[in-house]
Amino acid sequence: MAATQPYPTVYESTATGLPPLRAYFTELWARRRFMWHLARSDLKAEHYDSAIGQLWVILDPLLLAAVYFLLRTVVRPAGTGAARNAIIAHLVWAVFVFTFVSNAMMAGARSLLNGRALILNASFPRAVLPIVAIVKALFDFVPTMLVYFAFHFVLGQPFGTALFAIPLMFAILAVMALGLGLMFAPLMVFYRDTGGFLPYVTKIWLYVTPALYFVKEIPPKLAVYLRWNPLYPSFAALEQIFAGHWPSPAYVAGAAAWALVFFLFGAVAFLAKERDFAVRL
Amino acid sequence: MPSDSDRPPAVWVDDLWVSFRVTREKNQTLKGTLARMRDRSKQAMLIEALRGVSFQVPAGSVYGVIGRNGAGKSTMLRTIAGILPPTAGRVAVWGRVTPLLSLGVGFNRELTGRENILLGGLTAGLTSAEVYDNFDAVEDFAGLGDAIDFPMRTYSSGMFGRLAFSVAAHLKPEILLIDEALAAGDAAFKLKSMGKIVELCEHQECTVLIVSHGLEVVRALAERCVWLDRGVVRYEGVADEVVSAYMAEENIEETSATALEDV
Repeated sequence: MAATQPYPTVYESTATGLPPLRAYFTELWARRRFMWHLARSDLKAEHYDSAIGQLWVILDPLLLAAVYFLLRTVVRPAGTGAARNAIIAHLVWAVFVFTFVSNAMMAGARSLLNGRALILNASFPRAVLPIVAIVKALFDFVPTMLVYFAFHFVLGQPFGTALFAIPLMFAILAVMALGLGLMFAPLMVFYRDTGGFLPYVTKIWLYVTPALYFVKEIPPKLAVYLRWNPLYPSFAALEQIFAGHWPSPAYVAGAAAWALVFFLFGAVAFLAKERDFAVRL
Repeated sequence: MPSDSDRPPAVWVDDLWVSFRVTREKNQTLKGTLARMRDRSKQAMLIEALRGVSFQVPAGSVYGVIGRNGAGKSTMLRTIAGILPPTAGRVAVWGRVTPLLSLGVGFNRELTGRENILLGGLTAGLTSAEVYDNFDAVEDFAGLGDAIDFPMRTYSSGMFGRLAFSVAAHLKPEILLIDEALAAGDAAFKLKSMGKIVELCEHQECTVLIVSHGLEVVRALAERCVWLDRGVVRYEGVADEVVSAYMAEENIEETSATALEDV
């Protein structure tokens, strides 16, 4: 009851800085059902009328993988059947996984602009919106991985216990994408035109990631530099996993470290600017 | 109407200043910012929407906010809701604030009315159990019949508004902020929503702040009222007096223009 609540909620002007973190995360946790329903109903609305909508989520990266396969085999013929199968499998999972990371990042970055009406008219921790964007991207991603495993089976790729390491790697990548989304979302609120660069950034990022080629194919001279690509350790680890081996701890640790760095950096940038979103939208 | 000043406040606005920078361009861009750095004449303009506003809303009352367009009414409600940060001063609220600033916040037009009741409730900060407890009441009050199971893109603006108000009014609001939100319903629904507002405040369970150009409605519903004029409080007091003073100043006759049709 309004009158009996002893302590008021007070809104005061504060210089830009972080909000009280414990209170913020408590509120965010209390909003988990809201986030879940927001993600689900958005997906439902997006794919409502079209079976094609669902199908396209899978077809789009699949066609992309096919294009890259053609490109690759033109540049360097695949050789034996087994080698060709390995290349196809690698391209399919790598393009799927990369599509997930870039889609999640882009959706997170655009989430504040897309959620303008909500931000202006309702009060909730704004991190809800990028989180919902990542959850939606995950929902779109999972069916593509089921399609991948059909390829994995048909192409005679190894099944083993190492495959159980996959969810861990995906979790790490989701955290990284969330961090990037949190980082870019305020930037896009304050400078709308920065969004135009993201597609080019992701294109270049794809080419410097061992997604279209195997780690062993990277010339040593280039490897020195490519190793610093934040996606390098996770894709290297996934390459080992899909080939039936447990990932080397160094790769996993590297992937987790990058994810943590992006997440912390993104979260701080986002929370520090959060109070100004409503003003700037 | 009782005007008991001993009652504790539900909302306390203390020397509130809210200002923001606006630029000429619609959307701020990096290019624009760089251009402004070179050319000082393209500087952003500072809008002072609220300049030292103070008032208290007694718990369990209906409180009116009137004034011309651009007086800072909506900015004030957004600040009370915690959406806009104060530039200076403070706002204190005792209880959960349910803003009804625009129709159907959180609604997704592709989903059915029924699905949107849940979504709207969760957006307002309720748990899903709380929403389900009030589900039937919301549905009944909106009175949409079979349309409740149709996607909301098929709704008229009136139907949309009815569901939106119904959701906000039934989901245990403690402090309800209404910004012209009743404008979409038909006459019968307007009367029904006015009755609901009175009912909500009856047992001091809810405090309502209502921004309206329907002056007769403010007079009828509100105990006290504030008249905002270009960001400052022009007059604060018993609703009847404030509304009369405003009408005198603005040369508004008590005609149909201020009556129910314009709630």
